[in-house]
Amino acid sequence: MAPTPNRVGGQAGAARLVGSMNHSGARGAPGGLRLRRSHWIGLGIALLCLAVIAGVLIYLSPVLALLDSRPAVPVRGVPAPAKPPPPLASSQRINVLLLGSDNDQKFQQNALLSQTMIVVSIDPRTHQVTLLSLPRDLWVDIPSHASAKIDLAFAQGGAPLARATVEKAFKIPIHYYAWIGLNGLVRVVDRLGGVDVDILHPVLDDNYPNDFSDSGYGTERVYLAAGPQHLDGRRTLQYVRSRHGDLLSDFGRSIRQQQVLLALEQRMAGMDLVTAIPTLAKDLKGHVKTDLDLVRLTQLALFMRGLHGGDVRQAFVTPYVHDATSADGQQILVANWPAVHAYMRQLFGSDLLP
Amino acid sequence: MRRVMAAILVTVTALSAGCSSSGVASRDPGKVVMPITRVTVPGRLYATKARTLYRFSGTRLTAMLSGIKAKDPAVTPDGNRLAVAQLNAQSSTILLGDALGQNRHTLTPSSAAEGPLWAFAPALSSDGQRCLYLTDRGKQPSSPQNLRPNDLGIWIMDTASGQSRRIVAPTAYTGGDSDPVFRPGAADQLLYTTYLYGGTPLQPVARLSWHSMRTGAHVYLSPDQARNFQPAISPDGRFVAFVQATAAGDDLEVMPLAPAYNRDPQPYPTDAAVLLESGMVSEPVWAPDSSAIAFLKLVNGSFDLFILPVSSSGPAVRATGPAEAVTHGSFLDADSRLAWSA
Repeated sequence: MAPTPNRVGGQAGAARLVGSMNHSGARGAPGGLRLRRSHWIGLGIALLCLAVIAGVLIYLSPVLALLDSRPAVPVRGVPAPAKPPPPLASSQRINVLLLGSDNDQKFQQNALLSQTMIVVSIDPRTHQVTLLSLPRDLWVDIPSHASAKIDLAFAQGGAPLARATVEKAFKIPIHYYAWIGLNGLVRVVDRLGGVDVDILHPVLDDNYPNDFSDSGYGTERVYLAAGPQHLDGRRTLQYVRSRHGDLLSDFGRSIRQQQVLLALEQRMAGMDLVTAIPTLAKDLKGHVKTDLDLVRLTQLALFMRGLHGGDVRQAFVTPYVHDATSADGQQILVANWPAVHAYMRQLFGSDLLP
Repeated sequence: MRRVMAAILVTVTALSAGCSSSGVASRDPGKVVMPITRVTVPGRLYATKARTLYRFSGTRLTAMLSGIKAKDPAVTPDGNRLAVAQLNAQSSTILLGDALGQNRHTLTPSSAAEGPLWAFAPALSSDGQRCLYLTDRGKQPSSPQNLRPNDLGIWIMDTASGQSRRIVAPTAYTGGDSDPVFRPGAADQLLYTTYLYGGTPLQPVARLSWHSMRTGAHVYLSPDQARNFQPAISPDGRFVAFVQATAAGDDLEVMPLAPAYNRDPQPYPTDAAVLLESGMVSEPVWAPDSSAIAFLKLVNGSFDLFILPVSSSGPAVRATGPAEAVTHGSFLDADSRLAWSA
């Protein structure tokens, strides 16, 4: 009677199977394992994506920390930027105002002068970059303020007022700004491993401000031999900042500043930016400010890497200014504005403001 | 969320667009590195790295003058006397010693009534009895409230007596003159670089200058509104190697010298004189037998020592082979002169 138990057993087994099917909707143990594996795979992919995102954010967090979001509310009394930045895919010219300040302890941190003002104009159509230095002693109309040296605009209203002042005086639309302090420049250069510069004249300054002394009021003696050489951060700062021993004074300094800017660009062209940028950004926290967004920053960095020597044009307004004394006794530079604007048209064509 | 998207986009863009470079900018290894196949250096060739003096001879490298921050080595042609500028915190002096840098004494003061002094770029006469150098001695005291020029002038010293005098006064606020060298075979002649401003608007220029200590005559050997500097005279006194700055870089050039000058040579004979083009070259110096010119050249972000074999037996100098690297990725001091003796 062997078949009976088998049949009973078979029925019982069938009932158990039906019950099992009704309970879980699965076809048995092997099918259930496959389902859990796919879940795990999905979960793993999701976690991997999250890890990648987290990794990217951690990697770029120092860079993100440097980037100012554009102020949503316009600063009182300061005109809004004359033109919005061109779209990313556009081939329109992009102008960035570079600002540099002494920001050691002897200065009020919220009222720094901009000792360096350079407009970097990137023209994707012609694949050309123009560096235009603006003399710090130039007498201009500062919007909503009295006429003054152009370096006072940054002290009175930060980057928005500096931008508005340049736009008003030179008719150049400024799309972005980037500000760097003394220590920032030293750190950038040191992090890049120094810069290679052909020093134009021997630099001798017996009264160079020792910004790194305790008081910030000390002086030190500086000597830099002329000719090609490798400069670390501190000596680069001495080179771009000293003007006591230069007959050309601030103009000489502008020439040197542009020279170092180009040397930095060349140095960065030879570097692994993927690893260098986050470390650089970490070093620069508090020493650099910009309203460039990350995507634009990367776009410009990639553009700059493709430049050759002939693609960069250096420009100065020096031929169109002359020395004068202001009503309150300051030594200033006064511009021949029609000549300056004609020069701007020569440099920027129809990309100027009306 | 916008920042997250931007960050991801940037990373992807950077990686896909090849933001990672070929890694050409090297880092200072902190020591002098020589290639696996070393170049044999005839005689003794001196250079500095991180202000330490090194001597290259054959395939050997020797660090010298321990504890001294050295710049601008100079030697007599026989190598028996060695001079360097010793750098201190806020001043520098010229030291003179024997071939090994021993038995040295200080030639110039580190300060005087006018304040702390600089002294750089010694150049020894062939017998070692005279030394040209740069100093700001004779300047007027200066302060932030009363700025006075402190440019470097060219002085000469009798190394036995210590007597010195200024032979070329600098133009104020130019940084002064640089790179003085004696002309071998013409004891009263020297060459140096004069730093000036030229053009409209004024731009920095550098001109090669010839000077006779006998007559006081001064003649420019290179044009205005250009930058030619760091003259190095061949051991027979017939040629001068120098650096010419161009839009593309700093080239190594060489041109013949007349026995003497009483006016500027016109046209300046610098146009057809290129020995080595492109890149950034500095501090040329001749081998004691005129068979080569050593110089520093920027390669992958590092100034390294190179030797270019040349022939100067004819009316012009020409390279007889490619320049060979004596060091590799060593970040030698490119603002410090080279010196080469037998």
